[in-house]
Amino acid sequence: MATTDGDSATASQRLDKDTRETLVTAVRHTILLTWSFIVLFPLYWLASMSLKPPGTANSLPPDWIFLPTVYNYIQLFQDSGFVEAFANSLIMVSASVVLVLLIGVPAAYVLSRYDIPMERDVLVWILSSRMLPPIAVVLPFFIIFRELNLFDTRIGMVLMYVSINLSLVVWVMKAFFDGIPETLEEAARVDGATQFQGFRKVVLPAAKPGIFSVAIISFIFAWIELLFGLVLTSFEAVPVTLFVYSFIGSRSIEWGMLAAASTAMIVPVVIFLIAVNKYLAAGLSFGVVIKE
Amino acid sequence: MARITIDDVTKRFGDEEESIVAVDDVSLDIRDGEFIVFVGPSGSGKSTLMRIVAGLETQTEGDIHIGDDLVNQLGPRARDIAMVFQNYALYPNMTVEENMSFGLKMSTDMSDDEIEEAVTSAAEMMDIDMLLDDRPGELSGGQQQRVALGRAIVRDPNVFLMDEPLSNLDAKLRAEMRTEINRLQNDLDVTTLYVTHDQTEAMTMGDRLVVLNYGELQQVGTPLECFYRPANQFVAGFLGSPSMNFFEGAVEGGTLRADGFDFDLTEQMQSAVGSRNELVLGIRPEDMTLHDRANSGHEFEAVVDVVEPMGSISYVYLQARSQSHDQTFIVETDGQRPISEGQHVYVEIPDEDVHLFDPASGETIHQRQLGEDAELALEEQMKPAE
Repeated sequence: MATTDGDSATASQRLDKDTRETLVTAVRHTILLTWSFIVLFPLYWLASMSLKPPGTANSLPPDWIFLPTVYNYIQLFQDSGFVEAFANSLIMVSASVVLVLLIGVPAAYVLSRYDIPMERDVLVWILSSRMLPPIAVVLPFFIIFRELNLFDTRIGMVLMYVSINLSLVVWVMKAFFDGIPETLEEAARVDGATQFQGFRKVVLPAAKPGIFSVAIISFIFAWIELLFGLVLTSFEAVPVTLFVYSFIGSRSIEWGMLAAASTAMIVPVVIFLIAVNKYLAAGLSFGVVIKE
Repeated sequence: MARITIDDVTKRFGDEEESIVAVDDVSLDIRDGEFIVFVGPSGSGKSTLMRIVAGLETQTEGDIHIGDDLVNQLGPRARDIAMVFQNYALYPNMTVEENMSFGLKMSTDMSDDEIEEAVTSAAEMMDIDMLLDDRPGELSGGQQQRVALGRAIVRDPNVFLMDEPLSNLDAKLRAEMRTEINRLQNDLDVTTLYVTHDQTEAMTMGDRLVVLNYGELQQVGTPLECFYRPANQFVAGFLGSPSMNFFEGAVEGGTLRADGFDFDLTEQMQSAVGSRNELVLGIRPEDMTLHDRANSGHEFEAVVDVVEPMGSISYVYLQARSQSHDQTFIVETDGQRPISEGQHVYVEIPDEDVHLFDPASGETIHQRQLGEDAELALEEQMKPAE
């Protein structure tokens, strides 16, 4: 009898434990689902607005069930202004990301590896470019751009984006290089590589997760930039953000078109994210870097 | 393979006025195929000296020759060396095979097939041939260590440099790898410099030890020579575990009056001591004996402070009963001997096992005696080899 009692006691305990685990899982999932809903709802709202027929996009109460139409998208892509602005932004932002990496990554490497006089000051000086709110520097930039014939040029906007992102790239990459043991380069030099080969073949690949992380962040920062585009361009170098902004008129807002353009704007960022996703995961874990 | 000559090498870090001397006027001749261990506490300059030989640091003064070449101006790539780092420094983005072939690709004209063959045979030698496609991040510490060694071996260099390569391994693996490196060095017969702060590694691995402290050369000699014939108090205290016990005292008419006991100096000791008033007596824990009762003149009474049973032996921490300062010394006893804290025992210091040091300079003024055979063997080792 005693044995049976013991068995049933353990069984009920096990049941208790199982129930508790199920409960914890259920709560965890509820929290995550709620969070996902909060995060994704605006995106859903945007996408659904872009797929609604003209005039119903902003109707109240909202039409939860409607016949989706790609009318807004067709309108959008028939507008040469949008296509041009979209292409402009893609070219300018991509070029700025390449340029900011070409300048920022070697700069960060040098700051990490060499004894630079007043290194701390140099780093703060680099960061100081981001210490003022953009609105405070936009007028001086406007005057400088006009004087240098950079106003309303793609090159001007590329330089602008580089200046926005450079401090981020230098600071993040310096921290990343600091985490890569210097013995790696020494091993490469002992193995017969020159200092530059050591950097290119050993350090740079080890820093790939960091490089892709700052690349995607730089891309997003430049891609969503509006203020400088508003002041420093007029026709030729208009970025897509400015074009989207133009749907907000003084008297009416074209909600359907605005939503379609905004949804289209998300696409390049998502593609870029998916492409470098593998490295981003590694960049967060630092798993590939040798333990000290 | 090559001999290495280090000539009056000094390395200072920092500005002229506030410079730190990491290596202080070190001269050393390393024979072709010799296994040399640089040993010393942290900050002794042993790693810096090795890095100077590697070309990763430039000496402030002095010359380095590898083979017949003066290499002062040459970078590491021109010195034909291979190095194993403390943290292994495996390239994280490359597979084990790529790690091992990197050096050959960088420094030789070998064809891809030749490189593959060399890598495969080195990998077999290190028993890592099944790991060739893995990345360092997927390997255990011991495996990474083997890959790092394999990467050095495959280069077939003039000189192996190893900078504390075993210090990140657990005790068991460390003992295994110690034997392995010894075996490899014997097989390959390549001049090897090995840096360690671990005196067990130093004693068991090298043909000769180079003992350093504060950047200064303390002694160069075979492990047994440094152990039994230490040049000074630092070497005597650094080698051996637990460390040698030191007792300071004043000399009064042939007797050393230490804190808590007197020790009668033999005639031989007295003549070595000369006119010195102060002395340091050194004796290893394994050479002292404990008695329950006093039965000759040389014992003194002590109280057991702590007992550390190690199994076959025990380390007994003692304090002389009549000492005026708090000083503890260690005696090694049979593990089966019953002994407990607070117990009173009599400690004997055998004359023949005593070292005497000059307290000011630390220099050894009297060495212990050895058995006849041991003495002969040591003399054989100490003969300058050609």
